[in-house]
Amino acid sequence: MEHIRTPKVENVRLVDRVSSKKAVLGTLYLTATHVIFVENVPDARKETWILHSQISTIEKQATTATGCPLLIRCKNFQIIQLIIPQERDCHDVYISLTRLARPVKYEELYCFSFNPKLDKEEREQGWMLIDLSEEYKRMGLPNNYWQLSDVNRDYKVCDSYPTELYVPKSATAHIIVGSSKFRSRRRFPALSYYYKDNHASICRSSQPLSGFSARCLEDEQMLQAIRKANPGSDFIYVVDTRPKLNAMANRAAGKGYENEDNYSNIKFQFIGIENIHVMRNSLQKMLEVCELKSPSMSDFLWGLENSGWLRHIKAIMDAGIFIAKAVSEEGASVLVHCSDGWDRTAQVCSVASLLLDPHYRTLKGFMVLIEKDWISFGHKFNHRYGNLDGDPKEISPVIDQFIECVWQLMEQFPCAFEFNERFLIHIQHHIYSCQFGNFLCNSQKERRELKIQERTYSLWAHLWKNRADYLNPLFRADHSQNQGCLHLPVAPCNSMYKFWSGMYNRFEKGMQPRQSVTDYLMAVKEESQQLEEELEALEERLEKIQKVQLNHITVKSNKQSEPSKHSGFSTSDNSTANTPQDYSGNMKSFPSRSPSQGDEDSALILTQDNLKSSDPDLSVNSDQESGVEDLSCRSPSGGERAPSEDSGKDRDSDEAVFLTA
Amino acid sequence: MLGKGVVGGGGGTKAPKPSFVSYVRPEEIHTNEKEVTEKEVTLHLLPGEQLLCEASTVLKYVQEDSCQRGVYGRLVCTDFKIAFLGDDESALDNGETQFKNKVIGENDITLHCVDQIYGVFDEKKKSLFGQLKKYPEKLIIHCKDLRVFHFCLRYTKEEEVKRIVSGIIHHTQAPKLLKRLFLFSYATAAQNNTATDPKNHTVMFDTLKDWCWELERTKGNVKYKAVSVNEGYRISERLPAYFVVPIPLPEEDVQRFQGHGIPIWCWSCHNGSTLLKMSALPKEQDDGVLQIQKSFSDGIYKIIHRPPYEIVKTEDLSNNFISLQEIQTAYSKFKQLFLIDNSTEFWDTDIKWFSLLENSSWLDIIRRCLKKAIEIIECLEAQNMNILLLEENASDLCCLLSSLVQVMMDPHCRTKTGFQSLIQKEWVMGGHCFLDRCNHLRQSDKEEVPVFLLFLDCVWQLVHQHSPAFEFTETYLTVLSDSLYIPIFSTFFFNSPHQKDTNMHQRQLSLPLTQSKSSPKRGFFREETDHLIKNLLGKRISKLINSSDELQDNFREFYDSWHSKPTDYHGLLLPHIEGPEIKVWAQRYLRWIPEAQILGGGRVATMSKLLEMMEEVQSLQEKIDERHHSQEVLQAEAPCLLRNSARLSSLFPFALLQRHSSKPVLPTSGWKALGDEEDLAKREDEFVDLGDV
Repeated sequence: MEHIRTPKVENVRLVDRVSSKKAVLGTLYLTATHVIFVENVPDARKETWILHSQISTIEKQATTATGCPLLIRCKNFQIIQLIIPQERDCHDVYISLTRLARPVKYEELYCFSFNPKLDKEEREQGWMLIDLSEEYKRMGLPNNYWQLSDVNRDYKVCDSYPTELYVPKSATAHIIVGSSKFRSRRRFPALSYYYKDNHASICRSSQPLSGFSARCLEDEQMLQAIRKANPGSDFIYVVDTRPKLNAMANRAAGKGYENEDNYSNIKFQFIGIENIHVMRNSLQKMLEVCELKSPSMSDFLWGLENSGWLRHIKAIMDAGIFIAKAVSEEGASVLVHCSDGWDRTAQVCSVASLLLDPHYRTLKGFMVLIEKDWISFGHKFNHRYGNLDGDPKEISPVIDQFIECVWQLMEQFPCAFEFNERFLIHIQHHIYSCQFGNFLCNSQKERRELKIQERTYSLWAHLWKNRADYLNPLFRADHSQNQGCLHLPVAPCNSMYKFWSGMYNRFEKGMQPRQSVTDYLMAVKEESQQLEEELEALEERLEKIQKVQLNHITVKSNKQSEPSKHSGFSTSDNSTANTPQDYSGNMKSFPSRSPSQGDEDSALILTQDNLKSSDPDLSVNSDQESGVEDLSCRSPSGGERAPSEDSGKDRDSDEAVFLTA
Repeated sequence: MLGKGVVGGGGGTKAPKPSFVSYVRPEEIHTNEKEVTEKEVTLHLLPGEQLLCEASTVLKYVQEDSCQRGVYGRLVCTDFKIAFLGDDESALDNGETQFKNKVIGENDITLHCVDQIYGVFDEKKKSLFGQLKKYPEKLIIHCKDLRVFHFCLRYTKEEEVKRIVSGIIHHTQAPKLLKRLFLFSYATAAQNNTATDPKNHTVMFDTLKDWCWELERTKGNVKYKAVSVNEGYRISERLPAYFVVPIPLPEEDVQRFQGHGIPIWCWSCHNGSTLLKMSALPKEQDDGVLQIQKSFSDGIYKIIHRPPYEIVKTEDLSNNFISLQEIQTAYSKFKQLFLIDNSTEFWDTDIKWFSLLENSSWLDIIRRCLKKAIEIIECLEAQNMNILLLEENASDLCCLLSSLVQVMMDPHCRTKTGFQSLIQKEWVMGGHCFLDRCNHLRQSDKEEVPVFLLFLDCVWQLVHQHSPAFEFTETYLTVLSDSLYIPIFSTFFFNSPHQKDTNMHQRQLSLPLTQSKSSPKRGFFREETDHLIKNLLGKRISKLINSSDELQDNFREFYDSWHSKPTDYHGLLLPHIEGPEIKVWAQRYLRWIPEAQILGGGRVATMSKLLEMMEEVQSLQEKIDERHHSQEVLQAEAPCLLRNSARLSSLFPFALLQRHSSKPVLPTSGWKALGDEEDLAKREDEFVDLGDV
């Protein structure tokens, strides 16, 4: 591939940033999609795979006697330090990666070449797993107050909104269009969540173009329509999630916020979540703390407080709690907006929904929630997560913050969620990996134009298939606690929010203590299930024996229970997989599990399989069992492959991939 | 739920303000006063406990409410505790109090648990001590277990106020004589009341046999011997009657400097290397004496420097480690973060939470202790060296480090009885001055240093990080920390075994603790709670397994290499000591703060779910066993513990009665700066008040 200047560099050293262990010697490969480091240790041949789309920054450091160091920071918070013996090679790798990490066309992204060996039908089914129209039905819509509007058919009114939107029945097309003209980027108020129990709803929009005095009759009617759609309350809240100062500054630009005098029966509330630039800088500061080698207590505490990260998380949570309480306890509908209504609004609406509805705390429900509030409502994934080369000022960890909010809630309510921490980490990973088509582009419109569903695979189907890995053993659906709102104090205090080392420091520590407990629990749960099955089988047997005794007939009882185990994947899955010779071919020939596993596992905290086999090497970059073990056992000739052949193959298959794409 | 005894202080009146004033109209008081006299609330006294003084019509504020509501009742002071008897106490005796502390009720404060007492005079808060000229209208009590009580004395008769306030101040703040400790009167009255529990195998280390047993268990008996030279405390009052020294050490050497300067055995590692401790020789000016001391030390060192003994490394804890002063200063700052008078104060500190935490440097001290322990372990384990801990009296940081090392290295110490035996061995027999360090007698503030608490906090970090490695849970540690201030158990109320024995023998008493060989936690909760305390994950603790193949002479490498391997919960256990991994022991410190409560959440939720699951497994197992034996024995359903776990709050089993008002309020605290109407009203009010003053 034209951007790869050198496909292979030998005698590269991978520095273990955390421990004092010596750097390991190995070979570095560049493929069309991954950077791969293979250790020279003959029997282990440990591999480290990094997707190009995960690379955040590449830094060439001053050359030393041992070689030229290259520091790669990843979007999933992994940091890789390589030492390349020749300055020239280092430069080539640097230039290649700089280009590879910044694709300019969607077609360059991994998902267009990734092939998990599923046929067309399976792929289509995968995309149908999460269905938003089903979700609205689940909420109880349409009903007497809300209807599906076709006003945005062909994205006529708003190109960043989906075509299917729920609006109050009394809002005519005239009102909607009028209102949309008075809203930034025409993002008019539409339904995000409907609370069946008391008819209150959460609606979302962008800021009004009110400037200092402008008003719009249709917009005022639109808000009235929302109020009337909830007969139980005579007012609605309008929540502006921005700090008041920011909102006021927008007035000078002809934007701003609702004037309470112009809208009847609204209660207006600012919440003060900072903008994407503040959030980006805050994360940057916190990551600097994470990068410290063995930080002291005061480095850590000061750094954490100075970054302000947890304060921002708290602000988002506070907003979500405010809305959830308004809806569930006051029975009032809420209209949420920020500036354009696609960042803070998405965060706050989804946190509130999560607090209100236990369905969103299940595995599938959580996927639906992201599909609804983030993907369909036009969160700018491409810009925020830098999938394609673009303005670095657009990049901000907006959905990362939402995912962290969910984690904080999981910490506070360990039994309320069906999924576990690993699920969140994997979703975060795939938002950046571009291995699946779900998070591509900035809007539904763009995705349809690009025919994403016909050309890529859905992450949800992949996660669903492997759901056994993501279950929280503490969750029980029939538990009373899970059947309603989560009861948080009005504003949880700062001391309740914790630093999420499982996310930001997960590559630094190897195994996390907490996760190990969860794994134990998982084992206990499995044991209990097996016992239950055994019991069932025994009972059946007993029944039979009794029958037999009654009938005086001898029948051999042959019932034997077969405990259903969700063992990960068997090696046979991988039997068709590639040999180490063609790394670049992996995207074509790897079975569904392995490629994703390949990069996921580096993100993994100990899986149960690991735990059982008590793999002695769980160190930082220890990679996927799929890749490593299988490869090494399947290829007896693994060590002696011809380097030239390698590179040749690389090129061929890469081109082949692109031809098909 | 607060019943008739509650007075809606600010509720009815306009704009309640968060001050120390209560807005109760006189007529309300009158009606309540009647009810108080009608309703007789009984005070539960322990055997030997005596009522000293009391006051009625005291209003105890409900802390969680910013508007000043409260409960009327009697405030009493006995020779054991301060207690508040609310008028609606009986109403609270429902299922939720299933797990309550049997000795200390929700509104009981033992005299030793009192930390500071403040009085409020004209809305100004002043620390109270000594003789008072003027009596406060409000009493604030900060407890050592971090509870904060507010009592309003406005409606109490003046003489009663005088009596109760001066009584409380006297009995909690004034210096006390050892023999006036409540545990003596309790022991007299409750004699033979406690049954021995055969299941409890805590080793007390008060016999030669106990030490021999421990030597044998750790295979230390090859090079070390238990001695009885100090029987009857003939040689030293600081040393226990029996202890262990190197075999070649002549017994005369022990006598030479009353036990100072002698290596005393703490624990032996599986590879034979040993942890020793030594109290420093007295500091002398005289050259001649110094010469004698030197030759004595040289003689001692010759014994332990020679094979079969390993190379000795000395850790001078008096000079090269944290000072006791540092610990005390850090803890004083740290605890202030949790001794919160009102909600406003809480939110003010909450904003600066991490920097305040950092500023106290308590977490940093914990980290340094853990680090030092790992360093010592590295020497013992990887370098096969002996470590000699040297400290002035060998009874503070020596106790802390040697027990910390044992918890990390010896899985036996991670069982409940093992841990209790360890405390008995290193702390009680090691002569840690609990009496002085906890300032139980209020004789000198300077001696007060929470060394034992620091140890528990270090252990908590380990339990938090590696809970499957421990038989006990954090709840056990929290309850243990509370029992430091309950003068029923003798464990934590003496400076040395000598002091304990002499005081006990004189009176021919045996305290429940010693008699039953049980430790404070036994019988503290009702039986069922044992499930809560015993961690179900640390089932069997097997032999110490160790695989130390390529360990280098470097702490960092040792540490990294351990952490890069899967954890063997029955073997060596090292904590993570990176900054982010050292956490606040939330259960102990935040348990009384309603703002930090999560209804239906927290670790309690995990624990109860875990119990449910274990129960399920167990009952299934039982059913299967039944089937296998084809017996149709009907088994009674096992009682389900914590059935209503969903309703428990994260503060369970502490702070039982703190419940959130679930009224649909809009958050104000977080966005106070934005100023809603109510806030403005409050501000105005305060402004007017200031004008009046």
